[in-house]
Amino acid sequence: MIEAVLQTLLNGAASGGVYALVALGYTLIFSVLGVINFAQGALFSLGGYLTYLLLGGKIGVNGALPGLALPVGLPFWLALLLAALGSGLIGLAVERIAFAPLRRRNAEPLLSLITSLGAGVVLVNLLQMLMGAEGYAFPQGAAVVANLPESLLIGGARIRTIQVLLLLISAVAVAALSLWLERSRSGKAMRAVAEDATTATLLGIDSEAIVRLAFLFSGMLAGLGGGLIGMSVSLAGPYFGISYGLKGLAVLVLGGLGSVPGAIVGGLVMGLAEALIPAAASGWRDALAFAILFAVLVLRPSGLLGRRQLEKV
Amino acid sequence: MIDNGLLVQMILGALLGLSVYLPMAAGQLSLATPAFYAVGGTLAALLATQGSPQASISLGAVFGEMLLAAALTAGLALLVGLPVLRLRGIYLAIATIALVEIVRVAILNLPFTGGATGIFGIPQPFQQPFGYVLLSGGLLALCGWLCQRLEASRLGRSMAAIRDDELASRCMGIQTTRVKLTAFVASAVVAGITGVIAAHYLNTWNARQGSFDVAITTLAFVILGGSRSWLGPVVGGLLLTALPELLRPVGDLRLVLFGLVILLGPVFFPQGLITPALLERIGRWKP
Amino acid sequence: MLRSGGLNPTDPLSARRRGTTRLAAALAAGLALLAILGRSSDPAARAVPSGAPLSLGAALALTGNANLYGQDQRMGIALAGRWFEAKPHPRAVQLQLEDGASDEPSAISAFNLLIRRGVVALIGPTLSQQAFAADPIAQRQGVPVVAPSNTAKGIPQIGSFISRVSAQSSVIAPLSIDEALRRAPNTQRVAVFFAQDDAYSTAETAIFQKVLAARGLKPVSVQRTQLADNDFQNPITAALQQRPQLVVISAQAVDGGNLIRQLRELGYRGQIVVGNGLNTPNIYPICQRWCDGVLIAQAYSPELNTPINRTFRRLFAEANNGRIPGQIAAQAWTAYQVLFEAVQRLQARGGLAGVTLGEARRELMQELLAGHYDTPLGPIHFRPDGEVVQGRFYVAQVRMDASGRSGRFTLVRELELGEGKP
Repeated sequence: MIEAVLQTLLNGAASGGVYALVALGYTLIFSVLGVINFAQGALFSLGGYLTYLLLGGKIGVNGALPGLALPVGLPFWLALLLAALGSGLIGLAVERIAFAPLRRRNAEPLLSLITSLGAGVVLVNLLQMLMGAEGYAFPQGAAVVANLPESLLIGGARIRTIQVLLLLISAVAVAALSLWLERSRSGKAMRAVAEDATTATLLGIDSEAIVRLAFLFSGMLAGLGGGLIGMSVSLAGPYFGISYGLKGLAVLVLGGLGSVPGAIVGGLVMGLAEALIPAAASGWRDALAFAILFAVLVLRPSGLLGRRQLEKV
Repeated sequence: MIDNGLLVQMILGALLGLSVYLPMAAGQLSLATPAFYAVGGTLAALLATQGSPQASISLGAVFGEMLLAAALTAGLALLVGLPVLRLRGIYLAIATIALVEIVRVAILNLPFTGGATGIFGIPQPFQQPFGYVLLSGGLLALCGWLCQRLEASRLGRSMAAIRDDELASRCMGIQTTRVKLTAFVASAVVAGITGVIAAHYLNTWNARQGSFDVAITTLAFVILGGSRSWLGPVVGGLLLTALPELLRPVGDLRLVLFGLVILLGPVFFPQGLITPALLERIGRWKP
Repeated sequence: MLRSGGLNPTDPLSARRRGTTRLAAALAAGLALLAILGRSSDPAARAVPSGAPLSLGAALALTGNANLYGQDQRMGIALAGRWFEAKPHPRAVQLQLEDGASDEPSAISAFNLLIRRGVVALIGPTLSQQAFAADPIAQRQGVPVVAPSNTAKGIPQIGSFISRVSAQSSVIAPLSIDEALRRAPNTQRVAVFFAQDDAYSTAETAIFQKVLAARGLKPVSVQRTQLADNDFQNPITAALQQRPQLVVISAQAVDGGNLIRQLRELGYRGQIVVGNGLNTPNIYPICQRWCDGVLIAQAYSPELNTPINRTFRRLFAEANNGRIPGQIAAQAWTAYQVLFEAVQRLQARGGLAGVTLGEARRELMQELLAGHYDTPLGPIHFRPDGEVVQGRFYVAQVRMDASGRSGRFTLVRELELGEGKP
């Protein structure tokens, strides 16, 4: 009995960690710009594929350049970091193309929702054209954890070692981000811009630079998440990022838009809720996330830990 | 070139574009069209395959299905719209995306909707695609005429006012909730009836017909065609549905093209193809 | 005054309204023109010229998420085309290929396009789901269809012109279960996984479960997954709590591969039986060394030692860097072969002299159903309703090489079945 509960908690934590990572990416951008970056899911996929390529993986027969591979594969940590950086840079590019022009024209914020959606679609389909739709497993796969057992037994509940690693790395990333926001100068500057952009600018903070930083970091988070997922479950075509992206939206709203602790709590809650669904109803699992999203929006739009958005007339 | 089969798909695309346009004309970004499209199609598929399998069905029966679909989607839209339309901007968009996913999973999991296989062997009211061209074309003409009349009507001008500034409109005495709800219900009904036609045309229907992808493509119709006039989504729908077929060799590029349209459209062509200025010029043109 | 939108006929609002009306009228006229122009004259009434090559149309999933299968099929058909063209034959045949993508509307478009171009028969579509949408159209127009990879129930029953060379899953699936039970006769506890949003997997698991019931085994756990899933921690831990000795999986290559890998990583040591969706080398990169030992029933084995299969293997290896062909490519070759041979037989006995295209199609269908064919799948023929009758089936086990990068389906049992009972 205890085993079953523990197993559920473990399952929930494992998937919740990734959801929190995705939601954090959204949160960063929402807090400084007030818009949702719909390209987040695509950056997730991108991170996965970049990690694969940097590990020395070959492009498969259905891709644009079959057989192409880096001459040497990088060690896992380096590949993950560089892939995250790559995603961050592409995230920056998305900001330049999809968000900045609209901001300059003072267009409605909704329009950037649409353009970022377009950016996401373009990215994912370019990935599809480049890499093909086949599945890729990381060449070193569990080599990272080669010395460790394939799964761990924790109090009678089993969890794959890779999942634990995933959870640990996510936790480190989230902690690092929170620490940065709390302590560092630029982190505090970002919180200032999130609070009130105009005042922040008046106080001498370069809001544009902060916005770009937000996109860079959120892209890096997405890339990191994608690489970790790829390590854990292999890459099943570029669309996997989109479904994480959509779920991430649900977590974002659940936790409260713009709240960093909300994203973390929301992620864990969502993971747990999904783990609690009985086997017979597992088909409804996807609907659960969206039903929660819907309910939260209708009943308590500010989410679990968000602030009430007051509209000034 | 463009055979009647493709023409039918183009017209259906135009209709879905109109469905996305209607809430937008009242300032609401609603991506719920695929949900109502799926509901309409599923209803038609279920009704048409009751009893023993048959190859053909009378046009009257199809009209009956359309009426029922209209009623069902209108009811759903009312039910869902009341809580959802209180939301603004991004929140509304996200809520409608959630709705699409919930409906899709529901259709996938409900025991009587055929699960993953869906429902097939849907009987045909016409032997040739030309019949579908007439049916869908007639529906498009009717919707177009109604939209044209809407623009000049009180309701239409209220919608335009809300689009410009919702708060000010409310101050002026416009019943914003009612107007927005009307637009939402109208959008749902158009999508539902289109679903009925599509289900018969495609012979088969399953949960994947109403997915998030459809929301993206129909949004592209409106962005490309222009969101300032009802002709915009019609033109956008016709063009963007025809394009992948005309560019058959291009294949995978189709979705990249859609993505580019949605990405660059608002940046470079904020008003789409059919701009108010263009309509004015056409209106003033003396041969 | 207000109704027409302004006081002055040339003010912007009424100009816009007029513009809209004019543009709408122009659009309507354009659409009407397209509608009339698009009313294709049905080529079925045209006579078939005696010298000209006959067209075979193929609508395959070259794009979209089923494109892995479609690419294999294109390869199989291309190889068959080259091989059969090289030998002397009474009637020239040419192939027209169209992309049916992975959704129903595209398959319908592809079929329509090919039919209008005057093909004498169709090969495809790739997915069973697409077949339910597109086959009725071919049936209505009287065009023979040979499906290379549709294995769902009810496909040949769509109509008299619909046939397939891909044996129904209900025939194949029980074989692997029996093999597993033969190896471990004391098996009592079975867990079943299936991708519930995949039409094929849902149908296949019903068959697996029926077979299990017939052997007196009731599953201790039935887990539903989604095609897009890649993390199966939840369903696996739930199933493993019941301590199963045999796991049966109905899914596709990527999700199924992940399921196998995670099952093994989480400590499952019993036997694994998989369905036709995993019948492809595409699982190797996903489950790597964990794929080893998986049992699968197949309608094709590359190890079948007949001349036609040896030829097929050789040609496939030459075109693909020494790779071993899979079932999908073999069935595609077979689909082309049966049509090609039927055309030649028809021509040889004069059935194609002075007929219209519509009549040629009808004659071809009858000739197709009447023939016996020696194919890479083994000897096959057709039932009157278009269902394939295949005498020989295979059970294979996946054997991965030392690096875990690649492997093969090793034949463990060859079975002769009676006249293909479903």
